[in-house]
Amino acid sequence: MHETELFITKLFNDNLAGLGNTLTGIVGMAPEPRPWANFVTMQLLVALILVVLFAILRPKLSADRPGKLQHTFELIYDFVREQAHEQVGHGSRKYVPYFGTIFIFILFANLIGLIPGLEAPTMVPSVPAGLALATFFYYNIMGVAENGIFKYLAHFAGPMPALAPLMIPIELVSHLARPLSLTIRLFANMYAGEQVTMVFMKLTFLLVPAVFMGLHVFVSFLQAYIFMLLTMMYVAGAVSHEH
Amino acid sequence: MITKKMLILLALILIASPMLFGQTPANPTANGHWVPISAGFSMAIASGLCGLAQAKAVAAAAEGMARNPGAAAAIRFALLLGLVLIESLALYTLVIIFVKVA
Repeated sequence: MHETELFITKLFNDNLAGLGNTLTGIVGMAPEPRPWANFVTMQLLVALILVVLFAILRPKLSADRPGKLQHTFELIYDFVREQAHEQVGHGSRKYVPYFGTIFIFILFANLIGLIPGLEAPTMVPSVPAGLALATFFYYNIMGVAENGIFKYLAHFAGPMPALAPLMIPIELVSHLARPLSLTIRLFANMYAGEQVTMVFMKLTFLLVPAVFMGLHVFVSFLQAYIFMLLTMMYVAGAVSHEH
Repeated sequence: MITKKMLILLALILIASPMLFGQTPANPTANGHWVPISAGFSMAIASGLCGLAQAKAVAAAAEGMARNPGAAAAIRFALLLGLVLIESLALYTLVIIFVKVA
């Protein structure tokens, strides 16, 4: 995969190479001449866009005369809250911030790839891997916070203690497969969407690449929703109380 | 459906192929040239089976929605979830191809 540098990445590498090398040096990586990668700067751009968007939204929030931006974000918030309530049940309110963040971040990160001159950070395997690991730690930590460490580990043993030697390896493998499948699903969908558009662009410039780009937009929304939905299901499984 | 004759023919071709192709002098990556070919075949098989599975899911969902329009929202939710999970199985094959083919 040939990686060309985007304009923003070039800005970072020309001016902030020292900062990049310091940051990678913290985790022990050797300094290199152009440390900023495309996906790092794109993630920072997405984070900046989100912060600016919410900074614009917050002062304009009004109960009497809501504007268009407020209506849009109320739609998104209601959607996330309804889904969380449906999946997690009561007590879903404290998990809604994480679900909403995951949904909006992945959505913006996927869609930013459509703008010429920018690329989607979720197109490289590292970014979905990071998101999947964050989700993995989140649902385990929430499960322990809700149920206590012993009860949480005990539910790996299944419904009956007699089944434990069978259930524990199965549960372990299935829990370890979760971040893997989340990563691969998001990465492969985004990468394949871009590659398919590129292939059709090599064949013809007329209309057909735009159709595949439209499909890529739909897939971006769907993959962000599915990532959030699976996160909710895993959190629901982890925090559920044995009644 | 595949008849017995086709299966026997396929088995003979597969058994004969190392003898047919094994006449090149041995080198360290003797069978490296099979990787792109098998990558193409495996992706085609994965996509084909994924297409069949998604077709079954969509057919069942459409029939369910036709029988019970009131449950359409729940059926649509289950359909979407099922389609994405089946799609991701075909994509696992694609990832293996990325890893193995250069």
